Amino acid sequence: MSGSLFRPLKALGTLFEAPITLPMAPRPAAERYRGFHLNDHNKCIGCGTCSRICDNAAIRMVHDPELRADPVKGIRAERPAIDYGRCCWCALCVDACPTGSLSLSREYIHISENLDTFFFVPDEQGMHGFGFEHGWDKGDDNDLLAHQRQPMAEVGTEERLGDMREIVLGFDPQAALVEASRCIQCGLCHDACPTHMHAPEYIRAVWEGDFDEAVRQIYRTMPFGSVCGRVCTHRCESACSLHHRGDPIAIRWLKRYALDQLSPERVGQIASEGRTREKSGRRIAIIGSGPAGLTTAYDLAREGHTVVVYEAQTEPGGMMRYGIPEYRLPRDKLDQDIDIIRAQGVEIRTGIRVGEQVTLEGLATEYDAVVVAIGLHQGRSTRIPGSDHPAVMRAVDLLRTVWSGADFEVPRSATVIGGGNVAMDAARTLARLQRRCFGEVQVHLCALEAEEGMLADREEIHEAREEGIRINPSRGPRRCMVEEGQLTGLETVACLSIFDDTGRFHPRYDEEDARTHPAELIVEAVGQMADIALLPKSIVEQLEWERGRLKVDNDGATALPWLWAAGDMVEGPDVVHAVAAGHRVASSIHRSLQNNRGLTT
Amino acid sequence: MSKSLPTPLEGVFRRVPGVRWRQQAERHLRVELSEAENLPALLALLKGEAGYRHLSAISCVDWPDADEFELVYHLDSYTTQVLISAHIRLPAAPGRYVSVSGLYRPAGFFERDIHEMFGVQFEGALDLRPFILTEWGGPPPMRKSFDTEGYVRDHYQWVDYGPEWLAELEKRGGGIVE
Amino acid sequence: MHPDHYRHTELPPSTEYELYFGPNHPGIEGNYALKARLAGDTVVALEADGGYLHRGFEKLMEQRLWIQNIALVPRICVPDPVPMEETYARAVETLGGLEVPERAQWLRMLVLEMSRLTAHLFYFGGHAATVGLYTNMFWGVSDRDRLLDCFEQLTGARVYHMYITPGGVRRDTPPGFLDSLSEVLDYVEGRLPKFDDLFFDNAVLVRRATGTGTMDQAFAIDYGVTGPNLRATGLAHDLRRDYPYLKYAEVEFDVITETAGDAYARTLVRRGEVIESLRILRQVIDKLRSVPGPIRCPLPNPLAWRIPAGDAYTRTESSKGELAYYIVSDGSAKPWRVHVRGPSQMHAVQTLEALCVGARIEDVAQIMFSLDACPPEVDR
Ligand code: SF4
Ligand code: SF4
Repeated sequence: MSGSLFRPLKALGTLFEAPITLPMAPRPAAERYRGFHLNDHNKCIGCGTCSRICDNAAIRMVHDPELRADPVKGIRAERPAIDYGRCCWCALCVDACPTGSLSLSREYIHISENLDTFFFVPDEQGMHGFGFEHGWDKGDDNDLLAHQRQPMAEVGTEERLGDMREIVLGFDPQAALVEASRCIQCGLCHDACPTHMHAPEYIRAVWEGDFDEAVRQIYRTMPFGSVCGRVCTHRCESACSLHHRGDPIAIRWLKRYALDQLSPERVGQIASEGRTREKSGRRIAIIGSGPAGLTTAYDLAREGHTVVVYEAQTEPGGMMRYGIPEYRLPRDKLDQDIDIIRAQGVEIRTGIRVGEQVTLEGLATEYDAVVVAIGLHQGRSTRIPGSDHPAVMRAVDLLRTVWSGADFEVPRSATVIGGGNVAMDAARTLARLQRRCFGEVQVHLCALEAEEGMLADREEIHEAREEGIRINPSRGPRRCMVEEGQLTGLETVACLSIFDDTGRFHPRYDEEDARTHPAELIVEAVGQMADIALLPKSIVEQLEWERGRLKVDNDGATALPWLWAAGDMVEGPDVVHAVAAGHRVASSIHRSLQNNRGLTT
Repeated sequence: MSKSLPTPLEGVFRRVPGVRWRQQAERHLRVELSEAENLPALLALLKGEAGYRHLSAISCVDWPDADEFELVYHLDSYTTQVLISAHIRLPAAPGRYVSVSGLYRPAGFFERDIHEMFGVQFEGALDLRPFILTEWGGPPPMRKSFDTEGYVRDHYQWVDYGPEWLAELEKRGGGIVE
Repeated sequence: MHPDHYRHTELPPSTEYELYFGPNHPGIEGNYALKARLAGDTVVALEADGGYLHRGFEKLMEQRLWIQNIALVPRICVPDPVPMEETYARAVETLGGLEVPERAQWLRMLVLEMSRLTAHLFYFGGHAATVGLYTNMFWGVSDRDRLLDCFEQLTGARVYHMYITPGGVRRDTPPGFLDSLSEVLDYVEGRLPKFDDLFFDNAVLVRRATGTGTMDQAFAIDYGVTGPNLRATGLAHDLRRDYPYLKYAEVEFDVITETAGDAYARTLVRRGEVIESLRILRQVIDKLRSVPGPIRCPLPNPLAWRIPAGDAYTRTESSKGELAYYIVSDGSAKPWRVHVRGPSQMHAVQTLEALCVGARIEDVAQIMFSLDACPPEVDR
């Protein structure tokens, strides 16, 4: 073959074709072009995921004090800055961004002799403020995050109604691994948690299968891991950055899973790591063995102080034992957490009511510091007509009676007043007891709030309905109906609104729309308060009070130098807040003792 | 272990002591030799009797915990069409092996590369002069013990950006989060 | 006039001298140097010298998360980056037991063949330039640009697409994409007769390329030559057919061979492969019109990928030949070892050194280009 000398001349034909001309202006880029970054600052939460996924370390987070920070909502005052000396426009940052705030634009030209211009914080206007269109942004096909939570297995309604067994079964290893693998380690949960648990660390450890490490991370801030792994209000999950486009990580269930993987002995060994062996010679008395009191005790005992906890009931745990139903918190798990606290050297004296067997003044002379952490064990009443009838109970009293195993005559019909979690606890506990005694459930629940406004968790409402409880939203209690000395029911009227224009509690009713709910027993679940009878008058007068609540500073210190207060009585009912308060009080006491301050007599 | 082994391979594997093989993927056999010194014999048989005329690559893996280098010879036959990866382990010290470039010319390139990147010595190799890192005085860089970032830190100067917006932010109490 | 102290010295007569080619020679895809010993204008010996593009990719990959490496791998081969992505992803999938959804497999074939087209067009342009046919070089490059436009529409980038990821691909086709791609394919097909006129049948090419850089089949096998260069010696070996991956077993195409084993045969094989790629692409486009998603298998978030311990050796038929990745995982979040076996490692060093001996200096660049020897693939 020799080829042709003439055929190439055919190419001369192209001389008559229109030439390809390109305009001097930059050619518009394709619709999903990967040009310079854009970031919607209203959507961006400063989670830093973009900077962690970046394969070129091209993203650095910058803190701007003028930006809004809201740890509870999971928002940090940080935004990504991009280094175009390093970026390779892979867009992994876009694909990994949990909010979808970050995208790449269709802008691709930047020329400058000034190196500093290659490092900038993108906003919606882009690198040169031209507001170029979005190029590669977050679509459904390129989202790299796993947005679906692993389903949690639960006991079926029929089986669970028969007894008090725990409803939630816990993750199996595969589900736990997958759930843990969804975590992007942004740490927003850590910021949101009242006690700042190291959730990213223990979730990572669960993912790595290193349960020792997971438990170690949990115990850095949480001596009630088994409890909180079940009943925590999980503020962390509302802050989790994955909730923007999907389900937040089941942080609470993973904590529970980690603790359930180790034997109680092993958990105890890990919890005891780093404990001071030397005795300080200081003595602290703590009144109340709920989460606040015992957390304070745990921390102080680990510092080498002698700690004695006084508990009025026969067993320690406070609301965790006498308030939270067993089907949400099995008592052996509570015992496990408390045993580990005891193992740090904490002495718990049960059955001793301060104000009766011992006095506060007595404790004040015997100890260097005293902590009141007595919780909210006194129920409030609606004070409606008939509410003084003996068959009208407060929810806290009902729950305490049932969970302490005291005699209790199960009513054939019952009505609960209230729409919060305590009301649900009361109703669901009664449902189980009725089922056991009579085979059927007859429990009504009347809440002032409309369905959407009810304070209880959604799952609680849903599960209560599953269990046969009749939930009546927007009902205001009018009177307890008593016939011949017997309680027969509760009369309610429709509630039209709860608050007045100024936002004050001032319900309005439609008196025409009345209904009766059958009730041999009425349970009032409309709030609790602290039982401060133990405080002698002389001391009450020296303390500061604010609308019935004891006033303390941020560290739980009262106006008296030797007295601290913590827990629900200060913070309102919540285990994890109580734990957080316990830590603050403990460190405040420890500091004071080191400075020889705050000593009693 | 898979049941069906192409006939010529059956015989070859039986004749070399210490050969263990298993199916690694579809039409891909993983062969391990307990004695590294038997590898050339295996290669010679594979080439001579089973049509393995193509040495696809030699890979080297550093296993510092075991103080060993692993060499993997990937071979293909244009007739049998079953890929073979033959694995041997060498003590990291002295890190010495024999060249197979007499059997397979492409080994010349791979051995030179492995020598350069891992410091393994191949006796009888065609050419072990540096090829890529001609002006490199440091240790063999593909060894796990070579710390890239550390090297960069020690040998290069880091230039940080100092844009105005950052200076302003720092004045207001903000700045780069470490 | 000479200064006083001037002494005329007689040097011994020399017939040989050394000539440095590169490292910035325009006849080379990327920086590479050749040291030639010449007698007159005939090459007596040649030595390749790499390292001008060494970026330490294999080492870098050990320090990055499995997903992060998808941004590195395409950079190993500029003209034909997609097979790098495919081979890396397939190795990770083999290790992790990941199943690539059907639509993603077709999409991967789509970009692989598009990449082969761009590489071959680039090759025609490059080969043409080494024999002085510059019009053709512009044609090759500008026709390749049309395909790069398609890449830009599909992947958001023109050259380094970073499109294939372990488990699938990153994005589905945008609306109208398959139609606009089909138009470009028709255009490329329509250009072939013009390439024939100006290039393949051009006496300049035929005379300069015929008999240049010739190897026979035994030599090719002996030197580990693969791909179109091997097929130009008459051996019909193609990993797409002989070790089919993705959906290659489900499409029709021919393995193109030539027998002469010279630069001209190598260019003709690639010409035939352009036609075959067009054929494959049309079948793939048909499939993509009906095969539904997803385009990725379910995976944990990319910061938490842990690939089970083990090793894998995966191979792809790239435009240049046998591309392979040997990947070892120790079960952690990053690869323990990634070894890249690029076909040019065989073509650009020992083969090139041998083929150039006896060639004339003006043909060295042509021989190198006709082998499609790609320095970045050698240096890694
Ligand atoms: S990943 Fe998205 S939301 Fe998080 S900091 Fe980066 S841009 Fe903001
Ligand atoms: S595009 Fe890629 S390289 Fe650039 S900042 Fe985002 S993740 Fe980093």
